[in-house]
Amino acid sequence: MTAPLHDARVATVRRVVLWVPDWPVVAAMAQVGLGADAPAAVLHGRGMLAVSAAARAAGVRRGMRKRLAQRACPEIAILSHDEGRDAREFEAVAAAAEQVVAGVEISRPGLLMIPSQGAARFHGSEEALAEALVTRVAEDAGCESAVGIADGLLAAVMAARANALIEPGQSHDFLAPLPVDTLVHAAMERTQRAEVEDLVSVLTRLGLTALGDFTALPTADVVARFGHVGAWAQRMARGEDVAPPVLRRAEGDIGVEYVFEDPAERVEQLALVASHVAEQLDAALLAAASRCSRVRIGARTVTGDELVRVWRTDVGARSGAFSKHMADRVRWQLDGWLSGTATGPQPAPLTALMLTAEDVVPLGSEQSFLWGGTSGADARAHRALERVQGLLGAEGVLAVAEQGGRTPRDRVHALAWGQEGEPPRRVSHPWPGRIPDPAPATVLPVPLEVHVLDAGGSPVRVDSRLAVSAPPTWVRLQADPRDRVARAAHRHPSSGHVGGDDGPVWTSPLPVEAWAGPWPIVERWWSGDASRRAFLQLAMRGEDGQAEAALLVALHEGRWMLEAVYD
Amino acid sequence: METQGTRLAAARAALSAVESRMGADRKAAEGPALALDEALAPVLPRGLPRGQVVAVEGSTSLMLALASRASREGAWTAMVGMPNVGVLAAARRGMDLNRLALIPYPGAQAPATLSVCLDGMDIVMVGQGVALSDADRRRLAARARERGCVMVVAGPWPGAHVALTVERVRWRGLGSGEGRLRERDVTVAIAGRSAGSTRRVVLTLDVDDQRVGSREPTGRTVVEDRALGTGAA
Repeated sequence: MTAPLHDARVATVRRVVLWVPDWPVVAAMAQVGLGADAPAAVLHGRGMLAVSAAARAAGVRRGMRKRLAQRACPEIAILSHDEGRDAREFEAVAAAAEQVVAGVEISRPGLLMIPSQGAARFHGSEEALAEALVTRVAEDAGCESAVGIADGLLAAVMAARANALIEPGQSHDFLAPLPVDTLVHAAMERTQRAEVEDLVSVLTRLGLTALGDFTALPTADVVARFGHVGAWAQRMARGEDVAPPVLRRAEGDIGVEYVFEDPAERVEQLALVASHVAEQLDAALLAAASRCSRVRIGARTVTGDELVRVWRTDVGARSGAFSKHMADRVRWQLDGWLSGTATGPQPAPLTALMLTAEDVVPLGSEQSFLWGGTSGADARAHRALERVQGLLGAEGVLAVAEQGGRTPRDRVHALAWGQEGEPPRRVSHPWPGRIPDPAPATVLPVPLEVHVLDAGGSPVRVDSRLAVSAPPTWVRLQADPRDRVARAAHRHPSSGHVGGDDGPVWTSPLPVEAWAGPWPIVERWWSGDASRRAFLQLAMRGEDGQAEAALLVALHEGRWMLEAVYD
Repeated sequence: METQGTRLAAARAALSAVESRMGADRKAAEGPALALDEALAPVLPRGLPRGQVVAVEGSTSLMLALASRASREGAWTAMVGMPNVGVLAAARRGMDLNRLALIPYPGAQAPATLSVCLDGMDIVMVGQGVALSDADRRRLAARARERGCVMVVAGPWPGAHVALTVERVRWRGLGSGEGRLRERDVTVAIAGRSAGSTRRVVLTLDVDDQRVGSREPTGRTVVEDRALGTGAA
């Protein structure tokens, strides 16, 4: 927290505060489509974070446990907490307020702050400004709000909670009788709030219950006892400011949109559009004197789906070739969507194409790496890989990252080179029961069936208590279909099947030297892609009696599958 | 105590002293090389030579191990035609996944893809199923030499500068129904265009760091050097 000492004077600003009561629950109700009069509450951790007006009337309070809340109001809707949603939904309120005034500061989701002088003069009076704000927010964003006007941050926030207008110079008198725990309302961040809560509890135990008592203490003693937090709290309690409001400037996205006259079905139709749109985006960026390091490519299909992918562009190296570079990416992406090779919904004709610049920075101030810019070798490698992408398509070159998971295949996340994306599973999670290191150097993308046999030649079984029916002694792998000897053996009547040579061709049985397992991995039993598998590690013995490569096999739905080879 | 190994080392030292005095230093003639892990030093004492083709038969782990230290130190790696490669194993061996690109299915474009990769990357690994004619192979090897890029090839490659064949693998840690794969010793046969006869080296490719117990630490690398002609060719 940055709290200047008492001699670092900041002029106290008269501010308008627009407060939407119970914002987290209002945002959550808007998202799930509940009416404003429904009883609802947002649950975070063990207690209620925010409670709607109807629920409050039924006796539900902030901080109440879920069970108590449901006893007080059985029809209450319990909604989950989501800070991202709070901030996102509040954009609509901020945009509505910006229709009335030129700039606003979003102190936290639910609370807007506006310097009053210029805006009040424009609207005639402070009352007219407050009325205009409340009306506009109710009409555009569809939620009720309260407005308060006072000198200084804490006084303005408390005035908004009381829906009051405090005359200039009266802030100190307005705040003096209020209890000290109102200081928490001036803390906007969570860490700051925790510090202020500590301070308030100490003040209460010292017998200072009103803000007036606290401001009466000598400033030097408060600083000596409570440090920066104390100095900050005393300034707040006097109705002074520590910092002027930071106004945001509304800036639109830099992006272009192209609507097709007829829905486009083939990539040939789109090649020209791709380069045209890329040039437009380049021109738009140039007009705004900025550059971007990522581009979001979006498309709408006739079925109404929105397809979105983010691509990285390395502007530092090649700002001159941006439009050509981007046109390739757009073409590859559209190719992927239209042919259905990329993962996503069913391919469908496209009706519109959108390009939006992300991570926009002013021209010439691109951030380079911490230890200097990209080296020549890096730029060379990137160029080579882009040329290969030109030859094979975007999905022909993959960038890989490690992700969380239990089997070697699950623990790798692959994306087309240059595409941005987070691995869906965290490495830092515990993943109990994963296959231990060392990792196998060959992992089959699709598991192949193998036969794991006991000494008598019958398949090894694993029962539900993970008991192995007999020690695995022989393994038959799938032979290369071009292997003539194996094919002849497969056709021979002694192979156990009659007629035809369909089905996989098996090698002759290979002896197992040593084995370990079975290790159960039961995953995602609650979902459609549930799997129950038992893994074995097998070390094979070669023809000359020496140990050979080791295998990782899994029993899945009664069949043994070769998952990986430790070669 | 004088063993075969120390006598050999002394003979090599004497030979290199003579070479440097006469201005016929082999190191200077062979050009730069990428760094190798210390455990692999007996295989290629001078490091991974730039501009050369190293053919590895029988072990993907050995291919990954060859590239690991160079990748960690900033070299770019492309794996062409290796859809089965275990990326996790590459990461565990110390490769930097940020400087690794996979080109799993080059298909009919394999020669063009490889020549582009040789232009831009430091290490290019080639899988076994890549469709290349003998003329393509010669052209690619010449391009690698020109660009100073190391090709690490799975399976045989006619005219490879160094051919490594994993002849024998011994896994430790696995019993009959208990334990897990922990450590492995591999015997690598090293043949090459410049080496006279085949050398054999035993090295520990996987070392289990989490091992608890009173087992004596064994030497990580045992070298049976048979360069003096006693070994099998």
